[in-house]
Amino acid sequence: MKTILLRFGELFLKGENRHLFENALLNNIRKKLSGEKFKLYRTQGRIMISDFENEDEIVERLTTVFGLHSLSLAEEVEASPESICNYFKTINLNAKTFKVEVNRADKRFPVKSMDFAATLGGILLDNNPELEVDLYSPQQKIMVDIRANGKAYVYGKTIACQGGLPLGTSGKALLLLSGGIDSPVAGYLMAKRGLKLEALHFHSYPYTSPEAKQKVVDLAKKLAIYNDEVKLHCISFTRVQEAIHQHCAPEFMITIMRRIMMRIAEQICKREGLGAIVTGESLGQVASQTMQSMTVTENVIKTTPVFRPCIAMDKEEIVAVAKKIDTFEISILPYEDCCTVFLPKNPVIKPKISQAEKEEKSLDLDALIGEALASEEVICVTAARE
Amino acid sequence: MIYLDNAATTPLSERAAKEQVLWACERFYNPSATYVQATKVAFALTEARGRLKKLLGVKDGEIIFTSGATEANNLAIRGSVREGKWEYVFSSAEHASVDNLAKALEREGREVKFVPIKKTGKVDLEKLEEVLNEKTRLVSCMFVNNVTGAVNDVAAIAKIIRKKAPKAIFHVDGVQAFCKLPFKLSNLDVDAFSLSAHKFHGPKGVGALYIKNKAGLKNQVYGGGQEFGIRSGTENVPGIMAMLTAAEELDVKGRLEKAELLKQAFLSELEGAGIELVKTNRSSPYIATFIFSGVNGETLVRMLENDVIVGRGSACSAKKSGNHVLEAMGYNLDQIKGAIRVSFDAALSEQEVRDAAKIVKQKYYELVEKLK
Repeated sequence: MKTILLRFGELFLKGENRHLFENALLNNIRKKLSGEKFKLYRTQGRIMISDFENEDEIVERLTTVFGLHSLSLAEEVEASPESICNYFKTINLNAKTFKVEVNRADKRFPVKSMDFAATLGGILLDNNPELEVDLYSPQQKIMVDIRANGKAYVYGKTIACQGGLPLGTSGKALLLLSGGIDSPVAGYLMAKRGLKLEALHFHSYPYTSPEAKQKVVDLAKKLAIYNDEVKLHCISFTRVQEAIHQHCAPEFMITIMRRIMMRIAEQICKREGLGAIVTGESLGQVASQTMQSMTVTENVIKTTPVFRPCIAMDKEEIVAVAKKIDTFEISILPYEDCCTVFLPKNPVIKPKISQAEKEEKSLDLDALIGEALASEEVICVTAARE
Repeated sequence: MIYLDNAATTPLSERAAKEQVLWACERFYNPSATYVQATKVAFALTEARGRLKKLLGVKDGEIIFTSGATEANNLAIRGSVREGKWEYVFSSAEHASVDNLAKALEREGREVKFVPIKKTGKVDLEKLEEVLNEKTRLVSCMFVNNVTGAVNDVAAIAKIIRKKAPKAIFHVDGVQAFCKLPFKLSNLDVDAFSLSAHKFHGPKGVGALYIKNKAGLKNQVYGGGQEFGIRSGTENVPGIMAMLTAAEELDVKGRLEKAELLKQAFLSELEGAGIELVKTNRSSPYIATFIFSGVNGETLVRMLENDVIVGRGSACSAKKSGNHVLEAMGYNLDQIKGAIRVSFDAALSEQEVRDAAKIVKQKYYELVEKLK
């Protein structure tokens, strides 16, 4: 019987809480495979899936589950020398060199691992005269895992999964999703650490286009592949930007904008029970991402941590992840986002908190934030699969 | 909501819609089939070619039905390309379906020449004369410019071509002229003429190419040999019938007068408002492009969309930055960024157009104020 063996990432580190993480992982797998026929069970520190039909679809979905380290497609046979040998007689290898490795978790199995591996290798050689054994760098490794449940699992390839922690086990957070390359990457990286994300997008209609907003929805669809689904909060930032443009010094446009974005983000976090704000900032990438700018921006929020997983990454590294999660092509579509409207020629690079506070005095912040929040539109975005 | 983007597309006329349903649901037979029901459709199709020629004002030549003007333009131009040292001449203010094809021919290594347009928006006839010669294989020039409304003197261009380039095929993209300006194609001396149904209340996805000498036109697709073997593929009979119904119910002269009135009304409302009309010395009353300086036309279009719908240059390429027609007329990128095209339909009332102009003015001022 065909079976998928799933291996955990670092869940084993979790000591007493391990079962909580394992349960979350099982639930996430069930959710991920919903709509498919399958049987999921846990046995001796392994998670297994059997009785499935759409092998390719299921494997593809499993490779997007955080907390899984790797998986193998295995054949389950009775853990007796005879049935394992019989199964080996049916194997046709598509390789020139091979190696058989036997692992006995059940030491009651009557033949020693090394000896049994040699026997099984012999069967393969008999049936495939072209084959040769190579113990050091075989083209094809065949693993035989003999478990105490009376079953043995024979498999070749091991497919890498995402690693990380099961989604949701680290809590929930709010991702600031701009439409650029960095923020979806930041979201992916934090979701990988077990944070279930909601997303917040600011648009400046009519200065920005409906396509710019749709682009963010499309990015959220890609993120939803990893994040189960994404609740996307869209907020009109037009009035805020117009007011800053009218009342504040042009070089502070971006600084004040980001301070107001943070305030709005924190309010949404509180309302939705989200424990952190996630941004795609990378140190020194642009004027608003200097240490001083981030200090001034973060200063307005009091009780919510800001996670910036891209902070130490080079653009090339961020792009590599963006390509891996398939957001890059969407991110580079050339629609103006809200940050490019009213863009000053010389934004301040090292703002001070006192300066920003002085600039903000001429704004009715509560009214502007209230108006922005009132414009909120929530879109529940589900995964986009090719 | 007042719709002023009629050069982009128009709503389908009710009679045309009914005709389309009739030919799609009841008389749906494939005109290439051999039973009597199908041959009746084939006869109607032959008749349709005659009807369209009558509308165009031409007796000789043939009609090839296409999926629209983009295909008709491509067929006329690509179908005229021949091996050897031929030259291909294009005006530099053509629609993307001609302009991009011209550039593609250039990339393929063919001799392509672009004739500049004057500040008036019209093709520079002197420059045209300079580039024409014995080797000219094709000249393509639009009748009415889709961005500025500038009307080229097609008959004069034809005269120059016949004199200087006797072997040339003269193709005219007539999309913004057919059913809008009164003309007799036989007086214009053109060899090929493209038109598109959805610009005059016909359906989308159907158009036609008039061709004087179909023997000279090479097919671009292979198939069952429909449309004289030049454009294979089962004919879009419902679309073709609806297109003709839409065209035949229009009083072109009456509508032109109305459009003139509407354009004047719109312009008079904007007088002194600091909004620049892109002036052409003979212009279609259906089209006007304005430069709204200091703003992004795209933003203004979106600010207006609940009240007045206007366009940006050519709808087919409106989303690309810049606009090669205005560029060819000497406008700079900032001016082009603030360009908006208004295009009328005779069904509008003068009051609607005046109201629309007032709203446009008001929203423009609002935007300027916000950006100060």
